[in-house]
Amino acid sequence: MTEVRPLLDVAERELRTVVRTPTLMLAGVGYVLLVGGIGWLGGTGAYLGLVLDLLTPVEVLVPVLSFAFGYRAVLGDRESGELATIRTYPVDGYWYVLGVYLGRAVAVVALVLLGLAAAGLVVPLTGQPQLSVIASHATVDSVALYLRYVLATTLFVLVVLAIALLVSAAARSTRGGLALATGAVVALAVGLDGALLGALTGEGVATGAPASLLALSPNSAYRSLVFELSVAPTGVVVPDGPTALLSMVALCAWVVVPLALASRLAWR
Amino acid sequence: MTARTSTDDDGRTDGEQTDDGQRGGRQPAVEVDGLSHAFDDLDVLGDVSFSLSPGTVACVVGPNGSGKTTLLRAVADLLEPDAGDVSVGSGDGRRVGYLAQQSAFRGQFTVAETVSFYGALVPGPVDTDAILERVGLSAVADRRVDALSGGMRRLLGIAQTMVGDPSVFVLDEPANGLDPTMARRLRTVIGDIAAGGGTVLLSTHDLHAVDRLADTVLLVDHGELVATGPPAELLAEADASTLDAAIETLGYGGGTAGVAPGLHGGARQ
Repeated sequence: MTEVRPLLDVAERELRTVVRTPTLMLAGVGYVLLVGGIGWLGGTGAYLGLVLDLLTPVEVLVPVLSFAFGYRAVLGDRESGELATIRTYPVDGYWYVLGVYLGRAVAVVALVLLGLAAAGLVVPLTGQPQLSVIASHATVDSVALYLRYVLATTLFVLVVLAIALLVSAAARSTRGGLALATGAVVALAVGLDGALLGALTGEGVATGAPASLLALSPNSAYRSLVFELSVAPTGVVVPDGPTALLSMVALCAWVVVPLALASRLAWR
Repeated sequence: MTARTSTDDDGRTDGEQTDDGQRGGRQPAVEVDGLSHAFDDLDVLGDVSFSLSPGTVACVVGPNGSGKTTLLRAVADLLEPDAGDVSVGSGDGRRVGYLAQQSAFRGQFTVAETVSFYGALVPGPVDTDAILERVGLSAVADRRVDALSGGMRRLLGIAQTMVGDPSVFVLDEPANGLDPTMARRLRTVIGDIAAGGGTVLLSTHDLHAVDRLADTVLLVDHGELVATGPPAELLAEADASTLDAAIETLGYGGGTAGVAPGLHGGARQ
């Protein structure tokens, strides 16, 4: 079947599954409260300060949330026998994986946006801006900076969820899936960044490598994108890194390649 | 051993060995030719051939690890065999309705939602109510899957196989865990499928069910088809009064498969 209908039906099934799974909903609510809380407790009173407050925690929390929602998506169907059942239907593997991805992405993106919206309310709702960190750039602070940050974060969510689905398609057991997911989260948050930073600072094998290499790491690409879109326009000096365009291309590749691999692995 | 079984136009097996698996000009619903498969260096199926005409109920019988599940998965196109050909049904829609040995559905969904989901994966409309009626699950259509008994879940699995009106049904131990009442209902459903022209290939350890259901029996041992034919023919061939005794004589004693003669290592499902 070459229609888009199976994709939407699989996506709807995934979304309903997530909504009807209390533990996932609890994790989602926890994420929203945590991110919202960070925004409110930071109390910078400016969008730029809020972005800087949220950047690192979100960089860690998004992979945790995305893997919680994604690592069992394909694996669960495989273990229950439903994947074998679905394979006897006239549905291609890539439609199935895209449907799973779409359904889970709607849920995770909605939760992440909710968290960022909760945090973002701190700026318009607090009367006295506290701009001690970025006082000299207060005039260029605007909600546009925050919206760009939200956009970059949405792209980051899509990247991490795609990687989570790849893990889910590659795993053959719950234990294996959990181990792979944990390894992937650690690799995303620490490993790849560490290796690339090591290379760039002369501690790795590729001494003197260009800063654009940071785009190879999803986290670094995301961070660079946020710096380029939401921080640099204010005049604040940001670390050397890939351009916004390169970061976006890299992040898009981190969506497409894992999903393509997951499609192949799911049907094996 | 390479064996072939054919059925006549009434869908009854005559057990006659044929070369082309066809009779009376009808295309076989299932045709397996020289099927062999190994997992790494473990040979699981060796040169299995048979064909089934429409309307046949064929029971695959054999000890644990004899290759039954591998055979069924190959027929359902879930496994690419190392050698041989499998031809099943025809058309663009769903050709095989498959029930896995360990089959579960998402507990967060109702019975009707589950069948509807699968119905959305096939071209054309699917009458969910009619399917649930056929397997006797209409009364629990709105019940969540995680609130069903094991037997009802198995029947839901059978309901799922009917979605898209496939011509061939591959059921891996469908009576697993069913109480006598549910097992009776299952036999009725399978009989109805065959009466409607559907071909059913199922594996089971329940020889009483084989006796009541099977038009033909495929006796698998150590990955090879060691005997095939209608139950009555197997009884005559083995000069036995029960299927149990006949199978003991013809193929295996009901124990777990060990190392297959001519195969490397042990066989497994």
